[in-house]
Amino acid sequence: MKRGLITWDKAELPPSVFEARLARARAALAKHDLPALLVYSDVWRSNEGRHLTNYMPYWNRSLIIIPREQAPLLLCGLSPRVYPWIKSVTIFEEIRPASKLVPTLLQLCAERGWTQLGVLNLPRLPHEIHLPLIASDVEASDVQFDLTDDAEMAMRRHAAEMAREILTAEMPKGAGLTDYQFSGLLERAFRRAGAEDLILLFSTSDSAPRPARGATLGNKYSVAVALEYRGHWARVTRGWPV
Amino acid sequence: MTERGWDSILFYGNAWRKDPFRSLVNFNFSGDHALARLSRSGEIAVTFSDPWDAEIASARLEPEFVCAFAGGASAIAGLEFMEERFVAACGTLPVSATADVEELRRVKTGEEIEYIKQACDLADRGYQHFAAVIEPGMCEFELVAEVEAFLKTNGAEDNFMLIASGGTEVVGMKPPTERKFQAGDSITTELTPQVNGYYAQICRTLVLGEPSQGQLKAFAIFSEAQKAAEDLIKPGITAADAARAQNDVFRKHGYGDYTGAKYTRVRGHCLGLYPDETPHILEDVDYVLKQDMVVIAHPNTYLPLSGYMVFGDTLLITETGNTRLNKTEKKLFTK
Repeated sequence: MKRGLITWDKAELPPSVFEARLARARAALAKHDLPALLVYSDVWRSNEGRHLTNYMPYWNRSLIIIPREQAPLLLCGLSPRVYPWIKSVTIFEEIRPASKLVPTLLQLCAERGWTQLGVLNLPRLPHEIHLPLIASDVEASDVQFDLTDDAEMAMRRHAAEMAREILTAEMPKGAGLTDYQFSGLLERAFRRAGAEDLILLFSTSDSAPRPARGATLGNKYSVAVALEYRGHWARVTRGWPV
Repeated sequence: MTERGWDSILFYGNAWRKDPFRSLVNFNFSGDHALARLSRSGEIAVTFSDPWDAEIASARLEPEFVCAFAGGASAIAGLEFMEERFVAACGTLPVSATADVEELRRVKTGEEIEYIKQACDLADRGYQHFAAVIEPGMCEFELVAEVEAFLKTNGAEDNFMLIASGGTEVVGMKPPTERKFQAGDSITTELTPQVNGYYAQICRTLVLGEPSQGQLKAFAIFSEAQKAAEDLIKPGITAADAARAQNDVFRKHGYGDYTGAKYTRVRGHCLGLYPDETPHILEDVDYVLKQDMVVIAHPNTYLPLSGYMVFGDTLLITETGNTRLNKTEKKLFTK
């Protein structure tokens, strides 16, 4: 699960950025004459939903709905007790509890009179979501549109810079440690600096990088860091000695 | 497989749900997808989407991972989590083996229990570290960073961790925020380190400073509820029995309203390759508990006395009862 700092700094990503992204999503809907877009999101596959709404399901999964004419809403597998927090870090004003995601989605479609739905990356929907959706009376069709913009690239650059700076400072400290110990040292540095998530892989010889397993790093090693900073991933690899 | 008439089963895992794959091949892959094909004769073929995983495991690499599903299989464990394009590549729609495999996973082997004991020991030491480093003025996310560093230093593969801090306004736990701890805060956490693939959990509450009468009274109720479950859990009782034992304590003290979905999620759950395995401990779950299952009983909920509070330990179900695997003192921690 995500257990780093999840937040929304509006100076860093102003609401206008999300308004522009939603406008692109709505333009794609208009092109296909569809009333709403469905974006699937879970703890591992969150990038698309995060890009559009800043929503990060730190655990569980959710469906993001972007109507063509109305405000976005979230069908959420998490408890309503965390909805105030979700609202504080996302653009959502409406969140509906959805322990059963597809029935809740179909109920929403019925309420709003939607007989069609665009789905971002329909072939990548989890089978458990795809099967009942396709079997329903709502016609689902795949929708694709560009999910990159200058703000996205700036955040990724920031993530990469953060990874480079911390690795530059920490890499010399790994000599003689186990990969467990070095992993702990890096986790502390990255998470205290605000990393949202972190994947660390270590290599001590010619073998491929792998998760820590208690191996001694010795005097020659490399670290591959995949760092998520406020929803934006960067991967940086460094060897030691340089 | 013979009983079901299955010639082959696929065990699929992705970066979030590695557990179906790891239930057959306990390899901690770091890429996006992994797949193991088990034939009825017992042969296992493994495919990864990431070249580093394939190299380390000396297994097949399939960068176009959809191709790994060509030929399909009789059944798939993890079918529900698979992307539809993978399911389509199987040709004929396979049946789900997820429920059957999960049932097999519930009763742990001796080796699995040893891993969970190691994870419990790490959870205990992790909570000691949590209590040692927390101080007023520290942000929630800084505390999580310290605990995460400790757990990783000591061999955790992963950790499921929720936290909350504050007073009666706190209704649940979530990821850490920039909130700074203050005197009088009640700080709740679930720590769930993973060792060799297996998760164990501890839930404790710590008060910064002298606990209020409300916090003390609340903890007494939580302690009584957790003990009621721990005293009851043994082979043959149901998950519903274990939940009812806890909820009845809250009802006895006049807080029955706080045992429902508005204020809490579950009264516990199973542990293993996934930190929130089923069956959940709820009053409407009639699953009969068995020897060598590992569960946590945690009556975590909101009470107006204290705000959200947590308290729970990992329990191994034995032939006649259960053994508490956590060694951390059962108390309301203070600092």
